[in-house]
Amino acid sequence: MADSYSSASPEANAVADGFLDDRTLKYLGVAVSSFFALGVVLLVLYILSSQVQFGLVPTILPQFISAYGLVLSIVGISSVLSVSSGIFVGLARVSKTRITSGISAAYVQFFRGTPLLFQIFVIYFGVPTLWPGTFPVQNWGFPTAIIALTLNHAAYVGEAVRGGIGAVPDGQMEAARSLGMGYVQAMREIVIPQAWRNALAAVGNDQIILVKDTSLLTVIAIPELIQQFRDVNSATFDPWTPLVLVAIAYLSITIPMGRLVTYLEDRADWGGETNE
Amino acid sequence: MSDDVILEFDHIDKYFGDTHVLKKISLDVTDGDVCVVVGPSGSGKSTLLRCANRLEEIQAGEIRLDGQSISDPDGDINRLRQRIGMVFQSFNLFPHKTALENVTLAPRKVRGIDADTARQRGEELLEDVGLLEQATSYPNQLSGGQQQRVAIARALAMDPKVMLFDEVTSALDPELVGEVLGVMRELADDGMTMMVVTHEMGFAREVGDRVVLMDEGRIVESGAPESFFGDPNTERGEQFLSKIL
Repeated sequence: MADSYSSASPEANAVADGFLDDRTLKYLGVAVSSFFALGVVLLVLYILSSQVQFGLVPTILPQFISAYGLVLSIVGISSVLSVSSGIFVGLARVSKTRITSGISAAYVQFFRGTPLLFQIFVIYFGVPTLWPGTFPVQNWGFPTAIIALTLNHAAYVGEAVRGGIGAVPDGQMEAARSLGMGYVQAMREIVIPQAWRNALAAVGNDQIILVKDTSLLTVIAIPELIQQFRDVNSATFDPWTPLVLVAIAYLSITIPMGRLVTYLEDRADWGGETNE
Repeated sequence: MSDDVILEFDHIDKYFGDTHVLKKISLDVTDGDVCVVVGPSGSGKSTLLRCANRLEEIQAGEIRLDGQSISDPDGDINRLRQRIGMVFQSFNLFPHKTALENVTLAPRKVRGIDADTARQRGEELLEDVGLLEQATSYPNQLSGGQQQRVAIARALAMDPKVMLFDEVTSALDPELVGEVLGVMRELADDGMTMMVVTHEMGFAREVGDRVVLMDEGRIVESGAPESFFGDPNTERGEQFLSKIL
């Protein structure tokens, strides 16, 4: 069975086969994961039954709902902006023009290489002081959120798209060009649709991280979800009631997003490479 | 140069870095002829073919289609490429398009032909290669031989003057080679000008009007298949034949 894969002695293999064969591993896996799942469920039940004050929920719910709406709008706007500009970052990365690929590489290096928190501070505190005279924007927090999340995640989306383009075989471009298509047309019709399919999982992953990154905006007093936790916790000294609401809020965004990515991947199946 | 020469290689040189892969090659392909290029791996035959629609740039000399320079960097290569069909070893069908969409895409997007006309023509072409029933299949639902036949139909959809075939049966299972060669044979019978790089000597002998042997970046022998396979003029030709036959 495993003889050709291992350089160990036959006896050792026989022992290993007996102890760690497929079936043993499977049952071991089931046992371990069941154990942990049970632990988590018990912990959650314990928290819900003994720690969460359901009486508090109606009082604090309105502020969580408005925070939820705010997070949704920040995510919606910066998602659209970061994905669409990220595609161009990715295209610029694979450009044969040195200056274009150089600038986009530097962009990615900076925004991927420094913490998002730092970038938020640069935009929120740094940028207004560069303005000659009084900074004209009154509520700079919301624009800061959009700009920081977009710039940061466009870099990650750009890298995902670059990888996606790199995974499209050269023959695709050659076939398109040999039919008389120009470079831009061949990119648009042939390479990008395939690159997008290749990049979908990575882009989706990044966009889920974007949702969670909104939590950092608490440091510039954006009234998002973590900010609500801090308000409620400092007023009531009750951590678990607001924490549970925060968890529900994030998961209600991130889980459907994961589903959406899977759906988009399945839709770009092109005749069943993956499900046949 | 006679009037009916359609594709003309005029003293071309091609380098990959320091490697001189095509050495002063001159070759005329006559209208309606099937020119088969054979030779050992690394002899430059595929590179020669790829230069013919400028998938590779040449460093010296000129390649002309119907008297128009292909290698001129200021020329409209996209326009010229529409008149040169190319079929690849690895098919290179567009995986996100159905067989029919693969065939109709370039006529619609490059030529601007309306969708109905393109579809009609596309279905005719798929019928010609025996794949009308697979029109709505995606490439990865087709066998290698079927994919390659779609690729031929795709190239024909642009109504090219010349068709280039780059080892189009090399990636196929042996039992699928015949169906692709069959389509190529029909095409040759219909009078298509073809330049075919291949290891299929049977095809070269039966369908070729002319066989060209390349070795180390040069054309070492060229002639009608009967004389090439019957009585090669050069020692290199004899050597090559003795290895493959």
